[in-house]
Amino acid sequence: MNLQTERNKAPLPVQDTPENESFAVNEPFRGIRFPANKKLPDEILAKMEEAIPQSEEIICAIVGDLDINSRYASSALVLTDGNIYAFDKAAENGVRSCGYDKAKKASVRRYYGNALLLLTAEEGAKPVNFIRFSYKTASLYDAVATFIQSVAAGKNQEEERRMLNASFEKQFCFCPKCGRALIRPGAPCMNCQSKNKVIKKLGAYVLPYKWMLFGCLLLSVVTTAVSLVPPYMTKTLVDEVFPTGNKGMLIICVLVLLATYLVQYGIGAVRSYYLRVAGNKIVADLRNDVYAKAQKLPMRFYDRTSTGSVINRISGDTTTIQQFVMRITQEVVVQLFLLIGIIVIMFAMNWQLTLLSLVPVPFVVMGSRWFGRKIRPFYRRMWRRWSAVSSVLTDTIPGIRVIKAFANEQRSVETFESYNAEWLKTDISASRITTLFPNIVGFVVTCGSLLIWGIGGNMVIDNPSFISAGLLVSFISYTSMFYGPVNFFANFNDSYQNALNSAEKLLDIIDAEPEPDFGKGNHPDRLHGKIEFKNVNFSFDRSKKTLSNVNIVIEPGDIVGIVGTTGAGKSTLVNLLMRYYDHYDGEILVDGINIRDIDMEFYRSQIGYVQQEPMMFHDTIYQNIAYGLDRVQVEEVIHAADVANAHSFIVRQPDGYDTMLGERGVGLSGGERQRLSIARAVLKNPSILFFDEATAAVDSETESLIQDAIERLISGRTTLMIAHRLSTLRKANKIIVVDKGEIIEMGTPEELMALKGKYYKLIQIQTMSDEIRKTKEEERFE
Amino acid sequence: MERLYIEYDMARFTRKDITLVDMELYDGRKFEDLEPRRLFPTTGLEKYIALLNKDGVEQGIIRDLRTLPDSERAIITDCLNEYYLIPHVEKILDTHFKFGVLTLKTETNRGPVAIEIRNILHGIKLVAGYRVLIRDGNDNRYEIPDINRLDKQSKALIEQFL
Repeated sequence: MNLQTERNKAPLPVQDTPENESFAVNEPFRGIRFPANKKLPDEILAKMEEAIPQSEEIICAIVGDLDINSRYASSALVLTDGNIYAFDKAAENGVRSCGYDKAKKASVRRYYGNALLLLTAEEGAKPVNFIRFSYKTASLYDAVATFIQSVAAGKNQEEERRMLNASFEKQFCFCPKCGRALIRPGAPCMNCQSKNKVIKKLGAYVLPYKWMLFGCLLLSVVTTAVSLVPPYMTKTLVDEVFPTGNKGMLIICVLVLLATYLVQYGIGAVRSYYLRVAGNKIVADLRNDVYAKAQKLPMRFYDRTSTGSVINRISGDTTTIQQFVMRITQEVVVQLFLLIGIIVIMFAMNWQLTLLSLVPVPFVVMGSRWFGRKIRPFYRRMWRRWSAVSSVLTDTIPGIRVIKAFANEQRSVETFESYNAEWLKTDISASRITTLFPNIVGFVVTCGSLLIWGIGGNMVIDNPSFISAGLLVSFISYTSMFYGPVNFFANFNDSYQNALNSAEKLLDIIDAEPEPDFGKGNHPDRLHGKIEFKNVNFSFDRSKKTLSNVNIVIEPGDIVGIVGTTGAGKSTLVNLLMRYYDHYDGEILVDGINIRDIDMEFYRSQIGYVQQEPMMFHDTIYQNIAYGLDRVQVEEVIHAADVANAHSFIVRQPDGYDTMLGERGVGLSGGERQRLSIARAVLKNPSILFFDEATAAVDSETESLIQDAIERLISGRTTLMIAHRLSTLRKANKIIVVDKGEIIEMGTPEELMALKGKYYKLIQIQTMSDEIRKTKEEERFE
Repeated sequence: MERLYIEYDMARFTRKDITLVDMELYDGRKFEDLEPRRLFPTTGLEKYIALLNKDGVEQGIIRDLRTLPDSERAIITDCLNEYYLIPHVEKILDTHFKFGVLTLKTETNRGPVAIEIRNILHGIKLVAGYRVLIRDGNDNRYEIPDINRLDKQSKALIEQFL
């Protein structure tokens, strides 16, 4: 098979930004550029020169990292218009090749941490293991397999090549520096952008309170300056007042000291109050932002991050940052001011003794650097352990009913204790360093004052005219004051490392890519409800493909039943339609518009989603029905509840619509919660409705009530209903059968029954089981 | 539901493809194109190996690979080695951690590789106090079978992230 296409018919957009230059996408070979995921290694380029005839045009290349024997080595798959080449050191002569005519079927077989591209010459033949690769390039191989197979099947090559190029283009969506996904091709990487900007980012939270903090700082300077007075007064008392017995002067000195202390503590109290107010405001702003950002993170983030660790970031880490911000904006300045002030006074008093008092400082600085290096991993470890403890809490406390039902309280306590013990162990290990270091510093600086006592005392004895006793005592007081800031800066590394660790965790949320909303502000007045899936492929992670090549067309007003065995991919279809996951290949269109290009808020407002286990919040029934809607009339809520067959049970509640629900709707039965959830959907008045096993967890009588409510709700709206119980699909005019991530049957119920395929079998099985269930229920009733 | 547990010499295997085997039981029953899969890929490398047919339906479970004759055990082990690519990290040359992305430059039993972990909480797990399981940003897996067997520098480099 020869692909006769014009060269570069469908060229890729060339990224000219400097940061993308290293991330070669259009790799020139024999003067022609073609898409590649990265720069081809020289040894492979040399092999390509040897193996690929001049007459062949290169379509694309994928540079991989495994050979066929699963060893790490440079490899590459190269598609030309005539052949498929695998450049692999483990192959004979380092290359494998295959014509399109000998690759009737191409598939990617995913293993654990690696995958193979299999090529099959004809139906029934044994597939050839063509090239092995890690998951790093798996999505490109999926596109290549589809391309090979489509070309072999005689599909439009131009179109196929355009789609293949689009898959490569998606590689632009990864930052060439850090490899993180970008929100759109060519977008700046939020991760790289944030480097060296931690202070700036945190500074943004301080800025609104700068005048309050500046005021506090001024007050601090005053108190600090005033605190330098008492040692000087000591000198005056020892050298001038006591030797002369001047009682008048004594009273003046005492009054000066009293005034000093009044100013110091009075201003200190005012400063502490405003400092606390500013600090709390900063932490509240930070928490608000982290929480707001957490709301906008995609489902993928929550699939991989425990709620415990998110809660830990919002509660604990923000407080750590607040304390650090206070230290850096206040104490650092104050201590620095104090340090400079004391040194100036000390030099003015006696420069020799001053130099002597500086002896321990280099040791303290070096120790501080060592301490910083040592302590940081401990903080990281402590954070991990504490997150683990939080995760146990968030897992077990909401599940307390299950724990009690299984009489598992003791085991639950033991699990918590074991995680807590791990945290304790790490904390104790860290404490050894955190407590030892300040004491060592304290010892070293105290030894510094011993030097001054020894050498300065000697000077007082030998030459009292040069240094008086009062000056020495005063100098010693200043020395102890001087070591305060030294100690502070030595230990500052501790809080800096702790804050840096917390900042990393917070920025992980603040800088995380939010749900992309490319179509912000772009939406029609109302959706009519035509839904199309075009070549949609999706996997939650790269180890298993959840949806393969899904193509569906649903007309406005269609009632579509989605059936299939558990794990077939039914709910995933709805998850993609809800835009919970946007990293799929292919396109999903609603009313002919790619859903990625529609304003997210508008789009979701047009969809009603009733889940198997509806989520209720700790609020009144009324607020739970009106959830997410601002301007809603009471009578509309009552009407919605009525349509959903919920009004009748609500009026029987002593508190009616004001009934307060427990967490996650505790206080209502499953069927009642489900009907509230339907009422929510009614009130939303959506164009499109999704029901995900809405009646799976209720008895027959409740099912009938819910079914009635659903039928009232779906009238005139495009409806997708996932159901195990096929009897609930009696209104459906179209059925989609999903199996192992693929659409295996689609049509009207009658067509599928006539087909006698999977749907027919499911109906037969369910008819039998429904009869058994009915008999059982009748027996129970009797 | 009856489940076929395979142990000792009750089955003979023939390698069919890199990850597929045919199985013949002592009672004459034959099964074709079975794929051995670990039921406990993390905690039980040699125990409870399920044999799945083309449709992914389990046909039997090898209770413990170690009870099988050497020849049969080798066939299954080879298939598992092809299926599960979990390189063993033997040396950590360097680490780089910035804003949640940890890069480990390593030597593994399959050659040198740079492992990029996007979320260290999720991507690195210490099991039983000595075994480290790593999952990179692309869902590739790696393992340090025993952290205590690493050289001093490698151990110090990885320990700060555990």
